[in-house]
Formats: sequence, C-alpha cells, structure tokens
Amino acid sequence: MTVPSHLPAPRSGPHKVLLALYALFALAAGARALVQLTTQYDEAPVAYWLSLAAAVTYALGWVAIRQASVGHTGFASVMLWVELAGVLTVGTLSLVGQDWFPDASVWSDYGIGYGFVPAALPIAGLLWLRRQKRLPAGSQSRDD
Amino acid sequence: MPSVATQITFIVVGYAALVAILALVVALRRGERPGWLDQLAWMLEALLVVRALAGLGALGGDGPPSMSTYVGYLLASVCVLPIAMQSIKDDRAVWSSGVIAVAAVAVGVIAVRLEMTAS
Repeated sequence: MTVPSHLPAPRSGPHKVLLALYALFALAAGARALVQLTTQYDEAPVAYWLSLAAAVTYALGWVAIRQASVGHTGFASVMLWVELAGVLTVGTLSLVGQDWFPDASVWSDYGIGYGFVPAALPIAGLLWLRRQKRLPAGSQSRDD
Repeated sequence: MPSVATQITFIVVGYAALVAILALVVALRRGERPGWLDQLAWMLEALLVVRALAGLGALGGDGPPSMSTYVGYLLASVCVLPIAMQSIKDDRAVWSSGVIAVAAVAVGVIAVRLEMTAS
C-alpha cells in the first residue's frame, strides 16, 4: 500500500518520530517473523504468525500516520485502535495461557522484549491523532 | 581480551548513546537541528560500517549459529541511520532531532544484538 500521490508532503511534527518508530518496528518484527517462520516454524507457529501480524500492523500504521499527517485521519483512527487491541490481547493471552506461546511473539507480555515500546506506541499515536484532529485544516503537524 | 569486533561494538554502543542523548537534549530545547548533530550521526554511521566490516570475519569458518539472523543484523546496522537521515533531509525543525535520537538508540541495540548473535 502506498500513500496516494496527490497528498502533499507531510510537514514537520511529532509524526516524524512516530513514522521512524513504526518503520523500525515493521522492519524488526517482519525480519524476526520471517526468520522464525522459515527456520523454526514447528517450535511456536502461533507466536511467529502473530509476530508477522504485528509487522503488517506496523507497516499499515506507518501508512496511516503518514496520511493523518496531511489531514486524512480516518485510516489512522482505525489502525491505531486495531494495533492497541492487538498488543493488549496478545499480551494478556501470553500471560494467562503460557502453553500457547512456547516462544515469544513481538507482542508477548505487552512487548517486554522491546522495552514495552509496542504497548506505548499505539497510545502515543492515538494521543497525537487526537491533537491532530483538533488542528485547523491546513495546519496539520505544524506545531514546532 | 575481547576480539576487535567486540571492542568496536563497545565504542559503537557508547557513541550511539552519546548521539541519542545529545539529539534528545536538542529536541527538548526545541531548537532547530544543528549541523553538528548531523556530523555526529554520520560519524556514528562510519563506526557502524567499520563494525560491519569487522563482523564479516564471523561469516567464515563455522559461522554464527543463525546465519540469517546475523546477516540481517549486519545489514540493518548500516542501513537504519542513512534511511533515517534521508527522511529528515529537508526538515531541520525540532522533531527531526527526535528522529536521530530514535535511530541512534536503534543502531545501538542492533550493535548489541549483532554481537550476541555472532557466536
């Protein structure tokens, strides 16, 4: 999925840091999932597929935040909640049903393996989005 | 005595922490991104390239336990910072320093993971 070409280049703002983090986590989760799925699939397939789902979520989150930075907040409103629900669901399941997770996924224990950044990221994104929606049209991400 | 690659990793991690802290300070002071921060970031990239070249030695012999993981970290260690710098090429506003802070922390962590997966 790419950002439509008619959208203007996003201005500076907190979204630049969010975009960097989302790109980083899409790369980290994607590479981790692909290596684990191809080299040790039988050890914990559920956890590895969930890591791949996390990677896809981060990639879509990147697109969503980029669109929201130029005023199109609809997709981000959905994606960031989906991401938060994913972290909370997988994090809780990994704690209450440890048998289902012989190996950790990216969102296991609310992202403890990544310093809980996976749990903080959608919250930070939603806070930014809330602020973004309050800005007058044409002044998105112009708070620096 | 640690190997040369390990010693370079120590330097990379320490220097990455320094760059991250300075970038964070610049961002928190809400000033424009200074030119010296770019220079520090590119010096960090030069160190990462040296670390990656030293890390190529681990590919010989028996190689690392997980070759794909090691090569992934090796590539990521040199690619992350240039991509981050490219994303803020035309943006010197306050949040661009935050991007450098994120990238510096990321390459520091990658350098540690590279060392852990080498043997």
